[in-house]
Amino acid sequence: MGNVVQRRTRGALRRCPFEVCGNMAGLELLSDQGYRLDGRKATELRKVQARMGVFAQADGSAYLEQGNTKALAVVYGPHEMRGSRSRTRHDQAVINCQYSMATFSTAERKRRPHGDRKSTEMSLHLKQTFEAAVMTQLYPRSQIDIYVKILQSDGGNYSVCVNAATLAVIDAGIPMRDYVCACTVGFVDETPLADLCYAEESGGVSSLALALLPRGGQIALLQMDARLHQDHLEALIEAAMTACKGVSKVLDEVVRQHLQEVSVLTGE
Amino acid sequence: MQIFPPTPPLPVFPPCLSPGDKLCSVEDCIPGTGVYLRHGYIYSSLAGYVLRKNEGEELPVISVVRETETQLLPDVGAIVTCKVTSINPRFAKVHILYVGSTPLKDRFRGTIRKEDVRATEKDKVETYKSFRPGDIVLAKVISLGDVQSNYLLTTAENELGVVVAHSESGAQMVPISWCEMQCPRTHSKEFRKVARVQPEYLQA
Repeated sequence: MGNVVQRRTRGALRRCPFEVCGNMAGLELLSDQGYRLDGRKATELRKVQARMGVFAQADGSAYLEQGNTKALAVVYGPHEMRGSRSRTRHDQAVINCQYSMATFSTAERKRRPHGDRKSTEMSLHLKQTFEAAVMTQLYPRSQIDIYVKILQSDGGNYSVCVNAATLAVIDAGIPMRDYVCACTVGFVDETPLADLCYAEESGGVSSLALALLPRGGQIALLQMDARLHQDHLEALIEAAMTACKGVSKVLDEVVRQHLQEVSVLTGE
Repeated sequence: MQIFPPTPPLPVFPPCLSPGDKLCSVEDCIPGTGVYLRHGYIYSSLAGYVLRKNEGEELPVISVVRETETQLLPDVGAIVTCKVTSINPRFAKVHILYVGSTPLKDRFRGTIRKEDVRATEKDKVETYKSFRPGDIVLAKVISLGDVQSNYLLTTAENELGVVVAHSESGAQMVPISWCEMQCPRTHSKEFRKVARVQPEYLQA
């Protein structure tokens, strides 16, 4: 009898602490009063801080923080097609995206920062997102490079990359139809949570990433690979769109401030 | 007494614009650069300041400009300044450095085919007697090229051709005629397809 108890206790300790103490206050994803793990409300976004024009060498660059997730985006272009010339499009520019994470960005040192499956998939998603927004018809037979690096990862990697890359593309002066704002939302206890952090993402929440062109309300990319009941999908997308519009207001403010700073420096 | 109909108020724009800002409808202005049309309205596509110009037509032209100009791409019919990198009996390869008077941040590659060097006697052209590697050439873009080739350029006009060339001894040569240049140090003549620069561009 004693042995069985010991085995049970050992097994419980090995399980994830969230599972064992799932119903204890403080470790719930959404408490009864409506507060999340970091004290936010369900529809509240993390604090967004951004700077444009971080590098002088690149055509466009931006640094964006959303809570604890920090990303750096750099844009080169449009320039002549490099690498495989067979990918040249005669009527529009080719957008080349590369997503990578710094080795120090996660809790455990990342062994392979780029070239693994997840990075390649993210790069492809970023490429699809920006092909929808950038006016590539103005630059036939050329290439636009977008490089994004995650310096600290705390959930919502894709969204932060998209927001940082939008600012970098605007800084490079490449025409776009509209801002591209992205947000990751999750569904817990019949409530959509906006802007998930790492603890919420790994806590088994069905998360959905949405990239939106806010003024027209057009969706550039929608990605989800979890299970969700069909009835909840509408509410989740609605919450994601509201969150993206909130992000777009912040980005707009950053762009206007940067423009005024630059014009003061050039003496206009 | 004539009563004039009240002119509609001009739309007031915020000082700084960002991509996606609605400017006005296409009935009030003609779209210029840095803007795009959608559903009959003009939207901004750059982050910058609005510029409205009245160019004599009824409607003003509206465009959005930034302080730093974005990368300009060579377009068909544009006069470009390029540097010859290699020559071949059939064509000369060049790097395009300037489009008009705007320097490019990145070099584009171009090709001047043998038959595009001159307007007359195209089959008797020898590229070795028209260009040498290192020459600065004024050319015009005739085609953006297809998948395999680069920009196609031509110098088949009087005003196009070599503007700066160095002789084999290293001195900058002086043009004598449309097909010869002379080195001031060794007085040796070399063949080039020389551009006839307009007199007003020559410094006294």
